[in-house]
Amino acid sequence: MPRRSSLFAYGVTRLVMAFPMLLILLTVVFAVLRIIPGDPIYALYGGRAPPSVVMAQRHKLGLDQPLYLQFANYIAQVFTGNFGTSLGPIFGGQNVLDVIMQRLPATIELAIGSMLVATIIGMSVGILSGINRDRIVDVVGRLYGTIIFVIPIFWLGLMLQFVFAVDLKWFPVNSRFDVSIPPPVPITGLYTIDSLLQGRLDAFAVAVRHLFLPCLTLGLVLSGFFTKTVRANLLRTVGADYVEAARARGIRRRAIVMRYAFKNALIPVITVLGLEFAILFAGAVLTETTFNWNGMGLLLVNSIEVQDYPLIQGTIIVYSFIIVIISLMVDFLNGLIDPRVRY
Amino acid sequence: MTESDDSFADLKAQQPVLPRPFLGRLLYPLMENRRTLAGVLSWIGLGIVVAFIVIAVLAPILAPYPVQGPSAIVAPKLQPPSLTHLMGTDESGQDVFSRVLWGAQTSLEVMAIGVVLALAIGFPVGLYSGYSGGAVDRIILLVMDSIYAFPGLLLALLVAVMLGKGVFNIGIAITVIYIPLYYRVTRNQTLSIREEPYVEAARGLGARPWTIMWSYIAYNVLVTIPVIFALSAADAILTAAGLSFLGLGIQWPTPDWGLDLSIANTFGDIGNGIWWTSFFPGLMIILLTVGLSFLGEGLNDIVNPLLRKERA
Repeated sequence: MPRRSSLFAYGVTRLVMAFPMLLILLTVVFAVLRIIPGDPIYALYGGRAPPSVVMAQRHKLGLDQPLYLQFANYIAQVFTGNFGTSLGPIFGGQNVLDVIMQRLPATIELAIGSMLVATIIGMSVGILSGINRDRIVDVVGRLYGTIIFVIPIFWLGLMLQFVFAVDLKWFPVNSRFDVSIPPPVPITGLYTIDSLLQGRLDAFAVAVRHLFLPCLTLGLVLSGFFTKTVRANLLRTVGADYVEAARARGIRRRAIVMRYAFKNALIPVITVLGLEFAILFAGAVLTETTFNWNGMGLLLVNSIEVQDYPLIQGTIIVYSFIIVIISLMVDFLNGLIDPRVRY
Repeated sequence: MTESDDSFADLKAQQPVLPRPFLGRLLYPLMENRRTLAGVLSWIGLGIVVAFIVIAVLAPILAPYPVQGPSAIVAPKLQPPSLTHLMGTDESGQDVFSRVLWGAQTSLEVMAIGVVLALAIGFPVGLYSGYSGGAVDRIILLVMDSIYAFPGLLLALLVAVMLGKGVFNIGIAITVIYIPLYYRVTRNQTLSIREEPYVEAARGLGARPWTIMWSYIAYNVLVTIPVIFALSAADAILTAAGLSFLGLGIQWPTPDWGLDLSIANTFGDIGNGIWWTSFFPGLMIILLTVGLSFLGEGLNDIVNPLLRKERA
């Protein structure tokens, strides 16, 4: 079997297997929103609204239908991309998916930046730890990995704000952009890329300055996970036969670590990447709230505050899609890098 | 006669040492490894956790000022830390130090409800799923794995929105995250223990599945749980604090670390240079979660010999 076709077959199997996962996630979301006590309208209004208003809302959202019909409608809505219209005071009447898509780029920008910070810091500390096994560098590295991972993201964010924005004034305290200058015209929605595309270096600098603290916050917390995985896997590969063989041939230690051990130590890191992304998106909700960052997470929190049920449901569904797509991509990447996975 | 007696003695000699009682199985390795790095870490972790339990229990005696009711407003608001108010005062003029001590109670309660319920559900389901195998096992596994892949905080947030605020409701909300975790660990352990000769022997002698699961397998799975218990407890405290920070968890005036941070953030304290209203509650979260992580990871290194070899 030629290599490419088996990779293709692997990709197709994964794609097919991702479908039940998506369906289960959607069902869990449905179950939580409709089956737990009473119904969402009651939960959101908490008995404060007059019964006629509640009945009208329930009818409007189709919540007075039998559950199986509601479920069928819900699944149909999800797969036709029609999540209904917002009921809240801010986006009232707007299409839910449109509102979410406007906010998605901010979250993606934050996610990419944080992942970059997490990878650079996490891998460096992990490698340093792994090659200095049981020495003081290793002990410090392991402590870092354990402690940074349990620091509440919002607390770290607030403290970094205090030191770097309030006290030293190096970075803005929060938000995505300065009020005084107009943001770049949206093309991709990512401020950094859009400003570069339009050749506006001033806007690019502003965007990066605003990105720095949120990405550092989220990235630092995520780096703990990388540190542990990289270290553990480096230790495993450093003891492997092919590394011994390389050493016996007189290859320098640094070259062995970088060229032989490190590459193979990366494979399990990619496997846990899916889990890392799950933590990333949960962390992004907290980071966005801390830094008043106008992304999907803040949208979710705000729509809970104003009891905008269609928007809450829509945001969670988009999160489910993102998670399934990422876990697919991670699986595929894994198959691409490690041929053993494909069989 | 004598011959058969001898062979019986042989059989007896081959029998494994009887398992020690549950607490003994836990504490013995801790005592034995107290001089290794993992052992020291576990002991430090255990010390921190016990200290927090003591703080939570003695909060009514330790806290210098009341935290609920009209008498809780004890000073002008937003006073910086001083000798009368060790950690300053907050927006409503309450003593931050007192609220932080009382917050230990809230955090430990929510965490205990969350992880104990998750264990109570995840463990039996995992046992059943792992022992029976087949299609049922595969379906439960797929469902649990899908839930596990979803960001825990988002799932808990969704449940919290539906259930409403309060200590007990938040406990239930975070349970949802950890059921798949306990399920997976239990199922995987059950899968391997199911093949042990003594289980096969019991099956051969006609023991019913229920008896085998609960009398022969459950105990041996349960001894691997404390590691997960400590690590998920640390995570549960973080998640509960996160929910409170987002305004979905504990309701004012109940003292809670996440809630206090949320209030500080809403009022923009940091932007005004007021750091003590958020610094101290966060510090308590970190101390407690670090204690639980040290305990969990130390225990893991001690109890799990395979990992010990890899990590050493």
